[in-house]
Amino acid sequence: MAQTVIDTANHIAAYAAKAARVQVVAAYPITPQTSIVERIAELVESGEFDAEYIRVESEHSAMAACMGAAATGVRTFTATASHGLVLMHEPLHWASGSRFPIVMPVVNRALGPGWNIWADYNDSMSQRDTGWIQFYCADNQEVFDTIIQAYKLCENERVLLPAMICLEAFILSHTYLPVKIPDQEKIDEFLPPYKPKWFLDVNNPLSHANIVSPEWYMEFRYMMQEAMENAKQLIPEIDKEYGKYFGFEHGGLIDKYECEDADLILLTMGTIGSEAKITVDNLRKEGLKVGSARVRVFRPFPKEEIRKLAENTQMFAIIDRGISFGMEGFLAEETKSSLCNQKDQPLIAGFIAGLGGRDVTFKTIEKIARKSAEWMRRGRVEKETVWVDLRK
Amino acid sequence: MVVVPKTRKEMPVTTLSVPTIGSAGKTGFWRDFRPVMVELVSPCTYDCPANNRLPQIFEKIRDGKLEEAAKIFLETNPFPSITGRICPHFCEEHCNRSEYDEAVSIRSIERFLGDYILERKGEAGFHEISTEKGKKIGIIGSGPAGLSAAYYLRKMGYNVTIFESEEKPGGMLTYGIPPYRLPKQIVEKEVAALTKMGIEIKSGKTVGEDIKFEDVQKEFDAVLLAIGAWKERDIGISGEQLMMSGLEFLGEVNKGLMEPPGMDVAVIGGGNVSVDVARTLKRLKAKPSILYRRTEKEMPAISEEVTKAKEDGIEFHFLTQPVDASKKNGKIVLKCIRMRLGELDASGRRRPIPIEGSQFTLEFDAVIKAIGEGPDTTWIPKKFLNEGGWMKVDSATGVVGENLFAAGDLISGPATVVEAIAAGRRTARSINQYLRGEEIRPEVPLEKPVKIEGINIEYYEPKERAKASELPPEERTKSLDKEETSGISLEKVQDEAHRCFSCGYCRACDICWIFCPDGSVDLENGGKPEFDYDYCKGCGICSNECPCGVIIMEREEE
Amino acid sequence: MQSTKFMESIKELSKEEYLLRGHIACAGCGPAIGLRLLFKALGNKIILVVPACCSSVIPGPYPYTSLAVPVQNIIFEATGATASGVVAALRKKGVNDVTVVGWAGDGGTFDIGIQALSGAAERGTNFIYVCYDNEAYGNTGVQRSGATPYGAWTTTTPTGKKERKKDMPFIMAAHRIPYIATACPSYPLDFVKKLRKAKAIKGTKFIHLLAPCPTGWRYDTSKTVEIGRLAVQTGLWALFEIEYGRFKLNPPSDQLIDKEKRRPIKEYLSLQGRFRKLTDDDIEKKQKWLDEDWERYHKLASNNASDLALCEEI
Repeated sequence: MAQTVIDTANHIAAYAAKAARVQVVAAYPITPQTSIVERIAELVESGEFDAEYIRVESEHSAMAACMGAAATGVRTFTATASHGLVLMHEPLHWASGSRFPIVMPVVNRALGPGWNIWADYNDSMSQRDTGWIQFYCADNQEVFDTIIQAYKLCENERVLLPAMICLEAFILSHTYLPVKIPDQEKIDEFLPPYKPKWFLDVNNPLSHANIVSPEWYMEFRYMMQEAMENAKQLIPEIDKEYGKYFGFEHGGLIDKYECEDADLILLTMGTIGSEAKITVDNLRKEGLKVGSARVRVFRPFPKEEIRKLAENTQMFAIIDRGISFGMEGFLAEETKSSLCNQKDQPLIAGFIAGLGGRDVTFKTIEKIARKSAEWMRRGRVEKETVWVDLRK
Repeated sequence: MVVVPKTRKEMPVTTLSVPTIGSAGKTGFWRDFRPVMVELVSPCTYDCPANNRLPQIFEKIRDGKLEEAAKIFLETNPFPSITGRICPHFCEEHCNRSEYDEAVSIRSIERFLGDYILERKGEAGFHEISTEKGKKIGIIGSGPAGLSAAYYLRKMGYNVTIFESEEKPGGMLTYGIPPYRLPKQIVEKEVAALTKMGIEIKSGKTVGEDIKFEDVQKEFDAVLLAIGAWKERDIGISGEQLMMSGLEFLGEVNKGLMEPPGMDVAVIGGGNVSVDVARTLKRLKAKPSILYRRTEKEMPAISEEVTKAKEDGIEFHFLTQPVDASKKNGKIVLKCIRMRLGELDASGRRRPIPIEGSQFTLEFDAVIKAIGEGPDTTWIPKKFLNEGGWMKVDSATGVVGENLFAAGDLISGPATVVEAIAAGRRTARSINQYLRGEEIRPEVPLEKPVKIEGINIEYYEPKERAKASELPPEERTKSLDKEETSGISLEKVQDEAHRCFSCGYCRACDICWIFCPDGSVDLENGGKPEFDYDYCKGCGICSNECPCGVIIMEREEE
Repeated sequence: MQSTKFMESIKELSKEEYLLRGHIACAGCGPAIGLRLLFKALGNKIILVVPACCSSVIPGPYPYTSLAVPVQNIIFEATGATASGVVAALRKKGVNDVTVVGWAGDGGTFDIGIQALSGAAERGTNFIYVCYDNEAYGNTGVQRSGATPYGAWTTTTPTGKKERKKDMPFIMAAHRIPYIATACPSYPLDFVKKLRKAKAIKGTKFIHLLAPCPTGWRYDTSKTVEIGRLAVQTGLWALFEIEYGRFKLNPPSDQLIDKEKRRPIKEYLSLQGRFRKLTDDDIEKKQKWLDEDWERYHKLASNNASDLALCEEI
């Protein structure tokens, strides 16, 4: 029987790992991820979760250990945040290049200095080129569902890439929300055991990650790009299939709300996307044709869907909880890049909001929407990137 | 198994590499030098007059293959039971092991193997005889040279007849060397084995007396003279007729004489006969004294025997030269002069020079002289002799002329048994070449031996050499025929074979193989290295580490 | 000098090769000898974890390799952690007849990889970690590492290193792991024996293999084994084991407590170009440190390891 629990996203992530029948967990604690590894420790030690849990001495080693386990052919899990993720940067590349289907919740937290433990996307955004698939979640149910979906996706032979399941610090990680946890039997049916095509095997002694000369290297990079393209195709399919199994879908690559006739679309990620729906409802009452499109998958980037949205709208208001210094918000950047060479492009305004855990409520978003609507009416974006609620 | 891809479609999505020999191509071209295994000459082989291939023999002993070891021995020396007892072991003199701890006890191994062979000499197949050649060879003299030649010639398939004027065959082995050094039954067994091989020995037949030399020459396709050197030289002083000949004395003792010629007996000379005589006298309860004109250092006798003589309690008068002998009151009075050592002479020893006015006299019951022996060639046709009465012979091949050959002390003067054995073997070779109508060529001399610098001694741990046990002097001097030196056990023989550095001869130790960083040493050939030049990078570790010095690095041609 | 039994024992080693011909180690490579010995000792039921080091180059490039056992090449500092992952996965899969071996250079062990190694050791990870120590970053062209000895030339210490080498085995001893040993390819049977012993012990085993490098140490390629032997005979490299906290010198080092029995260190130093600039003062200093080390070894050998963190047999 499916059961509904009310718990934090972090605990939910731990349950998802258990539900996915993860075999090896290697993790290192970091605020605000700690309650994931704590709950896993409890589950493993109580015997509820039959996994090997390696209490490594750093995030770098967490990923290195996950790679060792994945190379040996088992389903592998870790979780981290912020500085931990950044410390992992090197093994992240090695993991994706090795095509290990590791799944890793990232509790998005600001990078120092100074120490800040609150929500911010700069940690995972700065890992966007590591070859990892990146999901960004808007609620606890999505966290659970995406972890299960991610294993199915990552272990698919056409993909074989690792995935980050990003969730914002405290807003989700420590917030109790009801989550429906499906029957284990049904999960097992949806997600069969991991059967790797190759692994470290004394009966088939291959060397993994040997030296690769220029005459071969590019092909491997090309195949990673191919895998990303395949993932882009498979994510909506898996999401739909999951919906059929368990009743929840999360919008595939982009979770769209009231976008069909929208003149202005609020392009967001994560929980800002949840708040944006309230804003949409409020502004629709005023007659403003606003829609919300929450980008759920940042890598592979849903270029085609963005273009489709752009065809029927006049303007994108893009809200980023992160900044690529010297340029602009990440989502804004990618959106603009997606529209290059397209006819009849909508106006695009970028908004930087909520860095280091500053609140972004539906009211903040309303402010953003109204400003955008004003520029839309004038047919001109006055400021390409606006820092929202910035002190004078 | 992952197939090695060619196109992108065939590539696995990640970098899986397949174990392959030559993963990056062949690495042999990196090499400037290539290792080559060679066989070099060991000091023991080099120094042995018979050139016994000792490292090869010891390898077989280490492998527990005694029969194979014995067969290699017999290729160069048919009588290791004899040389294993009495040889002055030139082989041990420059043994490289002596620079590390102590020389290998080669002679003891030889004796062990000799006795091993002796026990099996009668066994079928031990001495394979080649196809009968249908030719007859007469050998005059059955000493070590004659017996050795007979053995090799018989093995080659010739009919061999030996003429021996004495009652028993063996020559010096039977009548010269005292039984406490060489038990007579050893010689008898060796001779019996030769007879079993089909060699005919006509004892008590003196050529020149019982049979005409010319008839022998006619009857046989080839004739070998191996009559030894039995004639005692004269000192050239007055009263010399009062002295006995050392060899004659030994002959008498070997024939059964058990009485010394007197109590106080002087033995004049510093060679082996002199020492044998003195030590024999001691065993006949006499009180022998050796008189020698130089010092102990210059004595040509085997030093071991000199040491034993001293242990036996024999008195030595060094730098003493008799100048006159006379009889007085039943005693022989020897007038002597004291000598001093001068410059080096032709023999490389310091010349003794009389000290004026240093005369003194000694009195003895009897005097035996043993200052050197020469061959008795009086009965040999003059055409084969030079002016000094020695054989006209090419010493390297033993060729005299017509169908006549010569070997041993007859041409070398008194020498060791092993030298006579070697000469017999070499002359047998010449005779074979002669009878086959080939050019008679001497054996090619051996290359210079391997020095210790060529050996990696790190692989050997210090270990005392096995010592044959010796009867203590008080024990051994009680008996004339009790053998004073005993053999060593098989276990010790094997220990010694392991101590051997195997200089210049691969001991199949696998050290080159274990240390090759490139795994390019194959050992399929009986454990001896073969190098895979496709992959060997020529680092030279194998050569540097080789405990036998058999891997050399040769420069690659450009 | 080795026992004469040495030659017989070598014959007993397997003739199977899992480091195949045609690898691209330098001529005279000490680590390559070490790798061959590793396989002689452990066979091919092993999984190798190899970080960035000479041994990640030696097998040759994709799509081939000279290593005929399963190998996971991994980032420089990660050997201990990745091996932990392999060990955990094997246990999860119920595989218990495969030995996991971390095979890392000195840079990857003393310096960048010490954290992961320390973590793995502290967690009691059941694997053998072999540090093949050529006393510099050899793969990158000979830069100094924490393992480079005092006075040695490297490309980053052109006038000789001014600091001493870390005492890695004792760092590992402080982790209370059940087995620590030093070895050298010049003493192949000692190394093989230690690997086999390590295989039989559960937990983290650390073997520190001094692996002479003709390229980095500047000596003739034929001298690799000789140099290793001299390192041992001079006492500069002591062969020992710390088994469950008990320190024991192994032959021939066990005969070298008496200073007189140790060969002069000059014999070792003078063969190598990297020590060419050593002054007499430097040598004296090295000699003094060496003597101090041996006093410590002596004490440990006779005190039954009272000074070491004790690891109890579980």
